[in-house]
Amino acid sequence: MVNLLSRTIMMGTPLLFGALAEVIAERAGTMVTAIEGIFLIGAWAGFVGSFLSGSLTIGFLTAILSGILVAALYGWICIYLKQHQVVTGTAINILAVGLCAFLYRVIFGVPITPLTVNPLPTIPIPLLSKIPIIGEILFEQNILTYIIYLLAPLAYFLLYKTSLGLTVRSAGENPEAVDVAGINVYLVRFLTVLLAGAMGGVAGAFYSIGFLGMFATNIIGGRGWIAFAICFLGNWNPKGAVAGTLAFGFAEAIAIYMQSIGANSFFPNELFIAIPYIMTIVLTISRKSFNVPAKLGIPYVKENY
Amino acid sequence: METAFFELRGISKYFAKVVANKDVSFSIRRGEVLALLGENGAGKSTVMKILYGLYRADEGQIFKDGKEVKIQSPKDAMKLGISMIQQHFSLVPAHTVTENIILGNVGGVIDQKLYQEEIKKLAGVYGFNVNPNDYVRDLEVGVQQKVEILKALYQKASLLIMDEPTAVLTPQEAQNLMEFIRNFAAQGNAVIFITHKLKEVMSVADRIIVMRAGKVCGDVKRSETNEVELSKLMIGKDLEQVRRDELKAKPAQKPRLIIEKVTLEEQTGVPALKNISLAVGQGEILGIAGVSGNGQQELCEIICGAQFPSSGRILLDGEDITNKDIRARIEAGIGYVPADRSRDGMVMEMSIAENMLLKSSFDKKWQNRGFIDQRKLNAYTQEQIKEYSIKTPSTEAMVRGLSGGNQQKVILAREVDNGEKVIIFDQPTRGLDLGAVNHIHKVILKERAKGKSIVLVSTELSEIFALSDKIAVLYKGEIQGIFEPAELTTEKIGLLMAGFKIGEVREDAS
Repeated sequence: MVNLLSRTIMMGTPLLFGALAEVIAERAGTMVTAIEGIFLIGAWAGFVGSFLSGSLTIGFLTAILSGILVAALYGWICIYLKQHQVVTGTAINILAVGLCAFLYRVIFGVPITPLTVNPLPTIPIPLLSKIPIIGEILFEQNILTYIIYLLAPLAYFLLYKTSLGLTVRSAGENPEAVDVAGINVYLVRFLTVLLAGAMGGVAGAFYSIGFLGMFATNIIGGRGWIAFAICFLGNWNPKGAVAGTLAFGFAEAIAIYMQSIGANSFFPNELFIAIPYIMTIVLTISRKSFNVPAKLGIPYVKENY
Repeated sequence: METAFFELRGISKYFAKVVANKDVSFSIRRGEVLALLGENGAGKSTVMKILYGLYRADEGQIFKDGKEVKIQSPKDAMKLGISMIQQHFSLVPAHTVTENIILGNVGGVIDQKLYQEEIKKLAGVYGFNVNPNDYVRDLEVGVQQKVEILKALYQKASLLIMDEPTAVLTPQEAQNLMEFIRNFAAQGNAVIFITHKLKEVMSVADRIIVMRAGKVCGDVKRSETNEVELSKLMIGKDLEQVRRDELKAKPAQKPRLIIEKVTLEEQTGVPALKNISLAVGQGEILGIAGVSGNGQQELCEIICGAQFPSSGRILLDGEDITNKDIRARIEAGIGYVPADRSRDGMVMEMSIAENMLLKSSFDKKWQNRGFIDQRKLNAYTQEQIKEYSIKTPSTEAMVRGLSGGNQQKVILAREVDNGEKVIIFDQPTRGLDLGAVNHIHKVILKERAKGKSIVLVSTELSEIFALSDKIAVLYKGEIQGIFEPAELTTEKIGLLMAGFKIGEVREDAS
């Protein structure tokens, strides 16, 4: 059980990175539908960076940089050129799959055994990890998990308690109000998308060099979309994103656990993986009040005559 | 001579091929209230948006206290003490009053308590009854405007620009606003307000700039002018007033459209319409007055069939049509000119001809072996273009390219034909220039003379008084009373629109 919960936290880490990224960008009015592609490119770049340099730090930096690059492309098309966000995101996601597979082969050929790097080590926190049960679950994780412990409350604080957050939220509710207040709506939105790109890049790299230590083109397998769904499930709020992440993380941990004990021979593994999705649908239908940003997904066009 | 507080010199602005402003120059002094008067599309808002930094001028200079200033963005304008309240308020409905006011004006961590106190105090100084903790979405339009004003005051604005500030207010609220404007200016500040209402101009402005077709065509002191001169300047020619035909006192016709105790409940459970009973006779115009958002649109949609009442009945010529859908009601002869023409009235990306058949596409008359009979449709459209003098290159022109007035004429032409018995006009002249307004009023009276029953919803009292045979006042989904036009004064109807009942009105308005 402890193992399962510890696994939940670990598997939840990249999801929360992605979900928070999505919350921030969507609060400002842009859906990052390229999130799946950003995850994948992050995973790829993280692996390539760390494999070639031998340093995980450089691997993550490469992942962040490539995440930002993809987000910049997406943001430029959707925010400045005002193109459709779903279409643009889908295109980038498809592009990412092809690009990663192609570049992986260009660099490494077709290796007989999969290339590996040593993934992020578990760092037990002194004292805290000695707390019975909780310590093992929460404080025997890798560095990224500890970072997300800090990042989630920080995101909430920035969004809801600072003027910066007020500006970001206003950009998603009524961009005109932001424009009239003398703030550049496009820039606010673009920067949130770039931030989402950076966080999405880290999330992607978590899968390749955070715990698997290798890269495959199907490594993300829809987890970017899960992060996307968690943002909805969490009502566009970092608090809700944490709750949603735990639900998805738990389901994924169970699925992996079931697989490891060979239970999938008599119980379909997919059912566990499907539970959070079913939950999302049920919650979406049953929820009365949505806190969805009023201008989510709508490009801001300055009224011109 | 005293240096002007702000001065615009030779401002020009071009949008694509359209000249929005051409060589606009005028100045404003401290303590002055300036009215910017002109028809829709005269370039009033554009020049003010240039002064506020939302647009950049293609030519010209701006001076403050005799020194040239560069205004690249609203931030620059605010630094110079300029604040502008847009016609469509730029508030965030999901945020509180406080959050709206401090947006972009403070930095760092937000100390809610501190700002709430500040705003409360500021509101107190000007006697505004605004609670800083309220969510803007819960506030009435009049209060929202006060929030906008507070935002400007919070920025310590000394030049306040207001774009059509009274459009959404009751006459009483408008009067209060005028008082505020005068007080604010008297403290050494300046106010520019954009309007097309002559009466307001005469009541509050010290000086009037008249604009027409992007140019300044008059700069006059209020004490040296009058409404007739101003309206001539504004439209460039004498205006023939629409007069109702003299056959006004028609014998009482039997009612054709009857609405019986209709209630419409919203999903939230709050009734949008409460127990409404109305009757419209043949050849009669029923005017529906009220501040916008008090159930007008719901009332119209109940009649045309876009919404079904929770209770009550609707009768057309004695036949119960309560449960008939939109198409059945179109076939029964109910036409509807919606208030938001671009959203509910037409498809902007389609041609005039296509828009003409939008509501009767199922009709056999447009079909030729299952296909649209283009020749017939074009001939019909051509006829309508001529009859309504719609300015367009061809029947194939996209309606997006037409001016607002011409778009409205397209809808009018269609709905007058659809509405063989009843026509609903919801704000038929909103945002149109005086020439087009005139034309539309004539059309309405012509249809009345044909014996059609007409429901006219308008927030312009002058329009209601000029056309209606009977006037009903709507407030929060309830009918405040049905009156003969002669029974009502502007003051009295204003109080009814603000929610006072008839008993209270007698006392207040006597």
